[in-house]
Amino acid sequence: MKRTAFPFLGFGVGLRRPHYAHILEQRPAMDWYEVISENFMVAGGRPLEVLAAVRDRHPLVLHGVSLSIGTTDPLNRKYLAELRTLAKRIEPAWISDHLCWTGVGGHNLHDLLPLPYTAEVVRHVARRIREVQDFLERPILLENVSSYLTFRDSTLSEWEFVRAVTEEADCGILLDINNIFVNAFNHRFSAEAYLDAIPVERVAQFHLAGHSDHGTHLLDTHDHPVCEEVWALYQHAVRRFGAVSTLIEWDDKIPEFDVLAETAQRARRICEATVGACMTGDELSAQRPAETAVSAHYRA
Amino acid sequence: MNSQLKDLQKLLYRLITAPSGVAEGLGAERALPAGGLGALVEGDERLSAEARLEVYADMYFYRLLEVLKEDYPATSTVLGEANFHNLITAYLVEHRPCEPSVRGAGKCLPDFLRRHPLRAELPFVAELAMLERATAEVFCAPDTSLLEASQMNALRPKLWSAVKMRRIPASAVLRAQWGVVEVLRAVEEERDWKPPRRARNWILVWRSNSRVSYREIDSNQAAALTMLARTTGFAKVCEVLARGLPPDQAPQTIGDTFARWLAEGLITRALRGKRDRPRSLP
Repeated sequence: MKRTAFPFLGFGVGLRRPHYAHILEQRPAMDWYEVISENFMVAGGRPLEVLAAVRDRHPLVLHGVSLSIGTTDPLNRKYLAELRTLAKRIEPAWISDHLCWTGVGGHNLHDLLPLPYTAEVVRHVARRIREVQDFLERPILLENVSSYLTFRDSTLSEWEFVRAVTEEADCGILLDINNIFVNAFNHRFSAEAYLDAIPVERVAQFHLAGHSDHGTHLLDTHDHPVCEEVWALYQHAVRRFGAVSTLIEWDDKIPEFDVLAETAQRARRICEATVGACMTGDELSAQRPAETAVSAHYRA
Repeated sequence: MNSQLKDLQKLLYRLITAPSGVAEGLGAERALPAGGLGALVEGDERLSAEARLEVYADMYFYRLLEVLKEDYPATSTVLGEANFHNLITAYLVEHRPCEPSVRGAGKCLPDFLRRHPLRAELPFVAELAMLERATAEVFCAPDTSLLEASQMNALRPKLWSAVKMRRIPASAVLRAQWGVVEVLRAVEEERDWKPPRRARNWILVWRSNSRVSYREIDSNQAAALTMLARTTGFAKVCEVLARGLPPDQAPQTIGDTFARWLAEGLITRALRGKRDRPRSLP
């Protein structure tokens, strides 16, 4: 798996309910959107109508929160089948989820919990990722999660763990810059050293988001603007990884769409100032004949 | 290794979901290693191992509380913040989320409320929750093609009785003992709500053009629409709608009712067996 398996989509934002009407009626300029997969794994109604209308005009990415790739429960085949059905329906540019576990014993915590960073856990997770990729018939991206605890059993650093899992599973990396910043504070490591240890060829997407400061720890709340330190870290990431599809996440206290759009534009300006001009969404679409064909098929 | 990781995940799950917090959960644990939680999770002078796990415990509860408040806005308004908080604390002990989507987390809340002590104080609240749950389920129920008035009008009237039809999947017929429609409407319109009257009633919930609506219906409509959950002939529908009506009023009432159902997008053409293919009108 190389990054070239995932097209450069430009600078996008998460598609969230408060912005549906604005996006559908005003059609604001935006390179691409990312959606939470589980919100659209439904039988019918408004969610799928919105998804179809947005997909008609923009590349979309499915970003899941319940794959639970690190759990010791068996893979949830029903969930995977629904995800595959949704993917066939909307032809996403790619599918991503998180390098974590979200539940055990058939129960779901609806949270992204860290794993012990050991060679055994690397093998456990990598085997499951390969199964998922085989089932979905495509490579996936896995995202580094924010965390508030580490395990004494860990023998690897977080970045060594991310690298080892993704190399053994041969999958891509969705690098969340804010999560690295949050974890660097919470677990006292160098965020820059983390970035510098991640294999360039596997990183196909960045996430940028805000967090909240609780004094003793930073919490990945997605309810604030991206802070200046995270922007600086993003610039460091762009210097190392080049122009990578970048997505702004904002899930609570969601502001007007223009605020998100301007945040995406700031990411574009940083990227262009660092690596040179990046194409806009329209220019990217014009250069993507395969994408056009997919879109036409989808419309049919 | 899997068993070691499994034991760790199960322990963390129990501690994160302990109803009164991680400390209480630790007190009840018999499977902790020597050295307690600190032997598994690193702590420091900023946050102990227990405090770090408490971050997850707080997020678990408050995330679900927020989701359930969004799913049950009227129920939470009627109960008030403290009652709703305590209700959800107890609910999550009995109904731990197990579906990938957080949408499923609150599906048992109406039944849970039927057995909850709060019902003595607010006897209508379980039915209010039932109505809110129905609107949520109808919102993302399957789409289907509609039976249009023009299709019926294109037929000679003598053929109507043989037309097979059913209610759209994105609909529900509820039976209630309290007038909870008015309570939900008041909360949605940000008006003061009043305790509802006690009177048996039937509620229709349906989705049309992506919008979920609900209204009270009479007993004949409830019986006919309940029957229309399965494929039914138009003649049988008419027979049920005419129950108890004077013969001279029945045709007009049936006509008005059926026209309204069609206008509201409630009726679909009958489907053929397992393949769900629309059946041609006779």
